[in-house]
Parts: sequence; C-alpha cells; structure tokens
Amino acid sequence: MYTLFIDTHYNKIIIVVYQNEEVIIKKEVVSDNNHSITTMPILVDTIESINLKINDINQIIVVNGPGSFTGVRIGVTIAKTIAFTLNIPIKVLSSLLIKAISFSHESILIGEREKNGVYIGKFDNQNNLIGEYKYLNNNEFKEKLNKIEYYEEIELNYEKIIKYSNTLNSINPHAVNPLYIKKIEVQK
Amino acid sequence: MKDVYILAIETSCDETSIAIVKNGCEIDAFTVLTQMDTHAEYGGVVPEIASRMHTENITMVLEETLNKSSITINEITAIAVTYAPGLLGSLLVGVEFAKTLSYIYNKPLIAVNHTIGHIYANNINNQLKFPLLALVVSGGHTDLILMKDDYQFEILGSTLDDAIGECYDKVARVLGLKYPGGPNVDKLAKEGKLTYNLPKPVDDKTYNFSFSGLKSSIINLVHNEQQRGNEIRKEDLAFSFQYIAIDELKRKVGLALKNLNIKEMIIAGGVSANSYLRDEIKKISKEYNVNLSIPEFKYCTDNAAMIGAAAYPLYLKKEFANFSLNAKSQMNITEK
Repeated sequence: MYTLFIDTHYNKIIIVVYQNEEVIIKKEVVSDNNHSITTMPILVDTIESINLKINDINQIIVVNGPGSFTGVRIGVTIAKTIAFTLNIPIKVLSSLLIKAISFSHESILIGEREKNGVYIGKFDNQNNLIGEYKYLNNNEFKEKLNKIEYYEEIELNYEKIIKYSNTLNSINPHAVNPLYIKKIEVQK
Repeated sequence: MKDVYILAIETSCDETSIAIVKNGCEIDAFTVLTQMDTHAEYGGVVPEIASRMHTENITMVLEETLNKSSITINEITAIAVTYAPGLLGSLLVGVEFAKTLSYIYNKPLIAVNHTIGHIYANNINNQLKFPLLALVVSGGHTDLILMKDDYQFEILGSTLDDAIGECYDKVARVLGLKYPGGPNVDKLAKEGKLTYNLPKPVDDKTYNFSFSGLKSSIINLVHNEQQRGNEIRKEDLAFSFQYIAIDELKRKVGLALKNLNIKEMIIAGGVSANSYLRDEIKKISKEYNVNLSIPEFKYCTDNAAMIGAAAYPLYLKKEFANFSLNAKSQMNITEK
C-alpha cells in the first residue's frame, strides 16, 4: 500500500511517499514562485527514484491550503487529477491541520504565515478545529501575538499525519478543492 | 498512417474546455464549460475567480468529454494544452492538469499558443490551404498575417493601439450594455442605422489598424450628449461604431488582397463570431475572388477543439514539451 503526499501550499514543494504508514522517501524543495515549473518534475523524480510507477500509488493525500492561491491550486489540480484518473482514494488536509496533528498537545492556536499576514485556526487536543479559520493581516497578527505568552515553530511529523489521514474518509476527486479563507477584492 | 487522437485542454480565460480531436480536423468529443454568468456579475472576467472555477471543474469536464468520446483515454495519442497567452492563474490549471495526464498515461505533451489555436479553428472539418491571409480579431489581437505553410507566420500589420475586441467592450460599457460587451453591441447594432458621424481611423497604405481614436470619439460623444441633456440613440451609435470599425478591417484586408497574390483567406479569434464582420469580409473576399474560411460559431470563441487542431502539426514535427512547461501571460505567435 503506497500513499503519495503532495504539499505545495507555500514556498516549498513537499512530496512524500509512504509504504503503509512508513515514510520511504521525502523530497522538500524551496521553490519561490516557481511551483509550476518544479512541482511535476519533482513528483516524477521522487516516484522514479524509489523504482515505483504512478500506477503503483494506492492513495493520495493533498494539502489544500490555506496558503498561496496559485501554489495550492497547483498541488490540488495535480492531486485530484491523479485520484480521478487512477480511481484511487484521496484525502484532504489543511495546512493548519497538518501542524496541529504534528503537535498533538492540548488545545492550540496554529498560525500559517504568508506574505502579508497569517492564517490562524484553533484546535482541540483531538485535532478538531474550534470555530473557523481566519486570516489576519500583519498588523492584526502583531496585536494578537502580544497577547500570546508562548509560541514555537512546529516541525511536521509525517507518521502522525498519515495515521490521522487513515482515520478519514476519502472524498470524490471532483469535490477536492483549495481552501482559500482570504477573500478576494471583488468579493469584499 | 495510424489515426492521431489528441486530447486538448483550454483554460486561458473563462472557459474550461476539453476536446478529443482526430488528425487535427475531426472532432471526436468536445466540451466547453463557460463561466460567463459568474463574471457577468462583476462586469468582466475576474482572474482569481476564473482560476478557482477551472480548478473546481476540470476533472468533471474531462469525465464528460471522455463519456462523449468514441475512444478511451488509453487510446489517446498525445495531450495538448494552451500555455500562452492568457490569464496566468487560469492557464496554470490547464498546464498542470495536462502534465499530470501526460505523466499518468505516458503520452507526449504538446504546448499550444492560444492565438495560433484560433487560426487552426479553421482547420476543423476543413483543411488550411497555403499561402493564406489570416485576419485575427479578438480582445487581445487585431493582426493581418500571411501564412505560407503550417506554423509559418509573417505579420503584415497589427493594431497600433487597442485590439478591436477591447474597443467593442469599451463601447459596450459606455452604452451601458452587459458583459460580454462585444456580442451585445453586435446584437444592438442590428436594430440601428448609420446616423452618427464618427472619425475614420488611420487611412494609410500600411496594414496596421487603429481603434483608440474611434473609441475616444465615442466616449466624448456620449459624454457631450449627456451634458446637453440629449438622449443617445444606442442602436444607431452601436451601428455607426460597428460600421466604422469593420470598415477599417475591410480596407486593410482589401489592400492586402490587392497587393498579394493570394487565393485563400481565413478569419480567426473571438470577434470572428461577429455577424456584421462575417458578412462584410465575405463581400470583400468575393470581390477579390478569394476562398474565405470562417470557423463555425462554436469554434470562434475560446475552445479546446481549436487547440487540438493547432497541436496536430506540432505532433507531426514531434515538437513536444516536458514536465517543466510553464504558462505565460503574453506571447506573440512568432515566439517560441
């Protein structure tokens, strides 16, 4: 059982292949504004480097944002296309949820930086989202940060991520879509 | 030779379209999902919304196209995609989708220029005969092009300022018509008469066009009439505008047909769906005894069928793209 994990929501492209619940390869490449050029070659190289073919993949996990709109769209478009054409299950995790999962602790506030602000979400100790995701611009975030006593960077834990993902139901590939959170100008 | 089936993808603006095209000229299956109603609410295409809708719909458009097709996706010969010019975010959805299909089914990937696609819309149920004169008219283009062979483009003349489609959209806005402006001006003009005296654009001996003067004169005319409290006869102004704008095209096409020894002519681009333009260019081609090809209406606006048609000569030349293919918002047809 091979699972392909795709995350292109920010300035890095992360491709992971799992065999059952074990990471067998993880590629992480910084690609500022170059996701369209680099994502597919990295994905293909990663799968080939462990002598697999795309048809060997049994399941997809994709991070659907929030993050860079274009970045997320690239990962999501690739992931839903693979899941649809190979007719394999696809699971969707948000960029904040994968951090919450990696940091199983008491309830925490997770922040996900981008150029002009931060996406935030509050999770309980079961990784359930409390309330909804929000977007704060840099000034709003600074204010919030002043009230927070302690914070730290979260290192992603890919074993925890797949274990959590295995508890989720897969969704119809047609319905896999980015999570934008931030409103665009015309809709404000 | 074995039949060549190209699965083509077009997402350069506000239409998500996929087609399966046989030998560059026969349409095996064809789907266009337009976002026009959504963008109409904002008075024009909103790029970010267009990109979002392409991502939402692309796999469904594929499924529908495959359901209509006589073949399975495994029997496809190659995958083609529009990679330029257009809205960057929208193009990227199609490009990443195409690369993924090319990888999964192990088929060559062909990168197609959208404007060249419009030209090859004339190859659908037809065959381009060279040398030919191409008039490309759209929201981004107004070009007269001489083609001596497949993918040989000699630009004889272009617009010096606004593209004709851009000018139509501006006039539509001034007249208070809804998006999409161009087709609505054409519709309204059918009920109008030539009563407004508008300036004739550059009347020189080059093949270049100009539409900004005409555009400004209409903006000023409407403004002045409103200041004086006079009502604008919208139908008549639409007709008067269209008369002058298409006359500009006719004069330059006439000049080219007079100077060049050409027996074949095509019209391409979104504005080629304009009924008045079609009628007038038909007249002038008859006058010069030239065979005129105009795409069927459904292949005039943005569609993937034309991308499949334009990909075919590239397939024959084995001009393939790789997985690092990127989208570009701007690109001339002579660029590679």
